[in-house]
Amino acid sequence: MTSTQPANPTLHILNKPPGHPRFETCLQAIQDGDQLVLTENAVLALADHSVALPDACKAMKADVDARALDEQARTGTIDYAELVRLTAEHSRIISW
Amino acid sequence: MTPLSYTLVITGAPWSSQAPQSALAFARELLVAGQRIDRVFLYGEGVLLASALATPPSDEVNWPKQWAGFLADNAIPATVCIASALRRGIIDDTEQARYELPGNNLLEPFGIAGLGEWVEGNVKSDRVIYFHGSN
Amino acid sequence: MSTLIIVDQPPYGNWAGREALDMVFSLAAFDQPAALLFTGAGVNWLRKQQAPDAIGQRSVEKNLSAAPMFGVEEILADAASCERFGLGPEQLVSGVTLAENLQDVMNAHSNVAFAG
Repeated sequence: MTSTQPANPTLHILNKPPGHPRFETCLQAIQDGDQLVLTENAVLALADHSVALPDACKAMKADVDARALDEQARTGTIDYAELVRLTAEHSRIISW
Repeated sequence: MTPLSYTLVITGAPWSSQAPQSALAFARELLVAGQRIDRVFLYGEGVLLASALATPPSDEVNWPKQWAGFLADNAIPATVCIASALRRGIIDDTEQARYELPGNNLLEPFGIAGLGEWVEGNVKSDRVIYFHGSN
Repeated sequence: MSTLIIVDQPPYGNWAGREALDMVFSLAAFDQPAALLFTGAGVNWLRKQQAPDAIGQRSVEKNLSAAPMFGVEEILADAASCERFGLGPEQLVSGVTLAENLQDVMNAHSNVAFAG
């Protein structure tokens, strides 16, 4: 629980795989109302069931397909056009 | 709707990371969506994207050339950070002369400038998106 | 509009921490509010009496102590990370504020970024 006023809804763009220290830091920083997008190696989290992902989470389809993870896509996937749309919708964006 | 303006910062090098590929795919869709790119800023290892000497095999994607083409086609300002660039051997003709180096390799249309251009993007652009490497 | 730059990589293994410092100093030079947060292995940048001569590098201790003079608003260190790396208050360079809650620190800044 935070003691200061939460910031505007934040879009978190994460490209590190689970196991990378920044992966954990990112997940701990996510607050209610935030959106997480997994890109590049971060999509490996879909196959890593030791990782608890927030509900508001999407994975980049191109990165999921590259790694043949499609069947394990426990979040929805998005394309780059949708990522653009998400960045337009969020005034606060953190690239991890 | 007024377009939003974006500064894109790339800190991951081609082949050492996916940063240049992810950033280019994103940048292309930004323009399709009618948004504006104020500047592309290469920092840290990302400066290697501006090497005119990168020569991958002909059947592989040439990331520096892909980026150069995109920037030129769309008249988007692009800068490599001078401190990061000099350190890693990305040199334009001015710096070659200044430091009496044996060559220069800055890929057009990239220019060399300081972090002030990143600060300006931070202040003026509606959005600043970073494409980092894998470290 | 205030910017928080986060350093989570340890010193000397690569240049990312120095490049983060450059970002913060540049913001301050242009009168933009800026703060620096060290977390994870990054807190090891803040250990006193680093002596990197034999590995061909320079300590950032002087840069960090000069930061407030150049207009950097705050240098913060994640308390849990300091504890993890055995960094008690006596071992930290001066001018560092311990942060108990990273979400609070991040919420206080409109922009949050890493150098790499």
